[in-house]
Amino acid sequence: MSAIPAALATATALAATGALAGLGLPYRLRVAVVGVLTAGVGVAGGTAGVAALGGSRWRAVYSGLVPLAGAHVAVDALAGLFMAVAGAVLAAVAVYGIGYATGHGAHGLGSRTAQAVLPVFALSLVLVPVAAAVSTFLLLWELMALTSLFLVLAEHRGGHLPLGRSRERGSPSVRQAGTWYAVMTHLGLVLLLAGFALFAAQAGGETFATLRAGAHGIPPTVRGLVFVLVALAFTSKAGAVPLHAWLPRAHPEAPSPVSALMSAAMVNLGIYGLVRTGLDLLGGGPAWWWLGLLAMGGASAVYGILQAAMASDLKRLLAYSTSENMGLVLTGVGASGLFAAHGDKPLAALALAAALLHVVNHAAFKALLFCAAGSVLRATGLRDLDRLGGLRARMPVTAALFALAALGAVALPPGNGFISEWLLLQSLVHGLAVPGVAVAVVLPLSVALIALSTGIAAAVFVKALGVGFFARPRDERAAAAREAPPLMLAGMTLLAAGVVALALVPGLLGHGLDRAVGAVGLPGSGALTWGGLGVRLTDISARLEPLWVVAALTAAIVLATGLPRLYGRRRRRVNARLWDCGGGAPTPRMTYTATSFAEPLQRVFDDVLAPEQDVDVTPVRESAYLVERVRFQHRVPDRIEHRLYEPVLRALASTGRAARRLAGGSVHLYLGYGFAGLVVLLLALVVGW
Amino acid sequence: MGLLRKIRTTGRVAEPAPPRPEGQVQPSARQLGGSVQVRCVDAGSCNGCEIEIAAAFNPVYDAERYGARQVASPRHADVALVTGPVTRNMAAPLRRTVAAMGEPRLVVAVGDCAINCGEFAGGYGVEGAVADVVPVDLAVPGCPPEPEAIVAALRRVTGR
Repeated sequence: MSAIPAALATATALAATGALAGLGLPYRLRVAVVGVLTAGVGVAGGTAGVAALGGSRWRAVYSGLVPLAGAHVAVDALAGLFMAVAGAVLAAVAVYGIGYATGHGAHGLGSRTAQAVLPVFALSLVLVPVAAAVSTFLLLWELMALTSLFLVLAEHRGGHLPLGRSRERGSPSVRQAGTWYAVMTHLGLVLLLAGFALFAAQAGGETFATLRAGAHGIPPTVRGLVFVLVALAFTSKAGAVPLHAWLPRAHPEAPSPVSALMSAAMVNLGIYGLVRTGLDLLGGGPAWWWLGLLAMGGASAVYGILQAAMASDLKRLLAYSTSENMGLVLTGVGASGLFAAHGDKPLAALALAAALLHVVNHAAFKALLFCAAGSVLRATGLRDLDRLGGLRARMPVTAALFALAALGAVALPPGNGFISEWLLLQSLVHGLAVPGVAVAVVLPLSVALIALSTGIAAAVFVKALGVGFFARPRDERAAAAREAPPLMLAGMTLLAAGVVALALVPGLLGHGLDRAVGAVGLPGSGALTWGGLGVRLTDISARLEPLWVVAALTAAIVLATGLPRLYGRRRRRVNARLWDCGGGAPTPRMTYTATSFAEPLQRVFDDVLAPEQDVDVTPVRESAYLVERVRFQHRVPDRIEHRLYEPVLRALASTGRAARRLAGGSVHLYLGYGFAGLVVLLLALVVGW
Repeated sequence: MGLLRKIRTTGRVAEPAPPRPEGQVQPSARQLGGSVQVRCVDAGSCNGCEIEIAAAFNPVYDAERYGARQVASPRHADVALVTGPVTRNMAAPLRRTVAAMGEPRLVVAVGDCAINCGEFAGGYGVEGAVADVVPVDLAVPGCPPEPEAIVAALRRVTGR
């Protein structure tokens, strides 16, 4: 008997108590009690996950819990990894959430509904990987979708405003985000339902064990169809291009702790579902499945980060960066499946390990980034980078934590993202030994796309940090910002500790990661060993010791900054006025904004982004030659959304208008429809049987 | 290929270097070691002196062979080459420009207007000569001064 069932039972009990507390308690107590209980759900779920990563397994059937089928649950190391990630993020973000929702009145995240739903959402994040049957999985999946939808809509009455400011009346962007999210997540559910129903019907049972056993007897076309349906649903949840449209809308509009949970824990479950179904239940498949995933991953990585580079809304930037990172993970999963399809299991294990490690790294830094963005939003009421600035002096701890997380996100050496991307690149570069024309074309292309996305990511986070936190405030609200309350800082510090630990000693995750990779039938410890402080790739004879990299970088920086300072002390220093070309003192209006920083990149990728600009000149009434007003508008729309979704939406709307004619309002007409339907059905029965 | 042919057919156009000008090298310029960065400031000139300064740095007079070089910011400059009577609007920018230069710094007043307001003396928009606004180390008379005179003044700063 392991600790897993006890921990999961505790999590469920805590979540139920939390939901009741959220409903019943008055506002003053509500936020603190629900926050503590949600953190408890996270700790319990994380404990179960860590126990599973440690090698224990658990399975059970509760026949009374779900009608007809019964609830099938099982925990292996792969589920454990995602549970541990979700649990750790939950625990830290729940602490942050107490500080975030306190002192802002009983609306938004502090409202009765939001506080009752939050623990249930937390529980669903922990429990989705536990499901071991199609019906159980879909129930929990839908629970997660619905509860997150409630939380996205929490601030529908207007954005988060700083203390003492009047509230706006309603926020259409939140409602729009809610609609997009609800529709897209339920389209995903429909695809998932169709795919799993087909799979279960062919395999002769709906538990994962039956599916696994029956998968090899299914004809290849049906297997392919199942994979395509399920992969579309899961990649949509993971926010991969072109199914990402909900993500840059819903993540920015949700309250920041919820954005952190969605971006760091919920999108991961799309990856979990993909790995579980594609590699485990279906047992791998032909190369074209994985080439498709690789293409999707590469496109998401580059397109996501390009849109992030253009975004001037801080949270929208982070949401697009999530899309990019999930693209990188999908590249890893796709490469893993491709290598497995060609029979190179050690390399497949390496690619999957890289992908899973990137999931963990991304969860750590992205949760921290969203929390830091949330404390900026709470302090200033602003998400627009063009108006922020000067926060380093006003919110030093938040700025430092944001910088730390940004270092992870740009995947440069001392950051944690570097290690997983290094592993991913190693697996792709050495995958060229695998035969096949498609492989020879796709793998170098993927390497190039990863390199490109990493380069742009550096620009993106230089922009977010440099324009948002440094320089001078460009708005009075940014100038009046104050540091976040201690509980928020405490939550962020927990996440920062995770980021630092992952950057310095990723070896601690080693055996757990091996077991998680082993759980999908790939040999866990063949390709990489986590000896001591670093990671070593046995087949490729490459090794990386992050601690030494950090030590060398620190020494180099200390030398580079310290020596000139020692040498320069002999000279006299004169304080001089800033050179302003002899004119007046520079104003904040003259500083570099996020838009101006992104402008060169926008020029380079002009054909991809297709920016729209509009100059509107109004002349004076008396003369056409004298200008009264010039209005300049510049927009970088999401082109995929523009081209792909809008025609579909227009077609749907026109069909809806046409269908309105069918319902004329006459009772006779409706009775006629019923009669005609009955006749057609009877005729069909007579003819058919 | 047009450029290469032009270079070949044009040959060397710089005039032979005249002998080193009379007069002492400025004492504060000795620290500069023969390499002088020059920032031009038009404090209200009619643009005649600017044309001559441009000529002083062209290939024919070639002030750069004596170690003087034009730069785009007073932060990089050792010498301010000031032309014109100082107008009211340019008085403060001129003071700030000179203050923005590192030590040691020199100010060279180029043209009669810079020395004594010339033709514009007493004008309603004129603050005064350059020496009234910032301390002047060297003066180049003429309306406008010939490029040779400007080069000779700069050679007294570079010492070459």
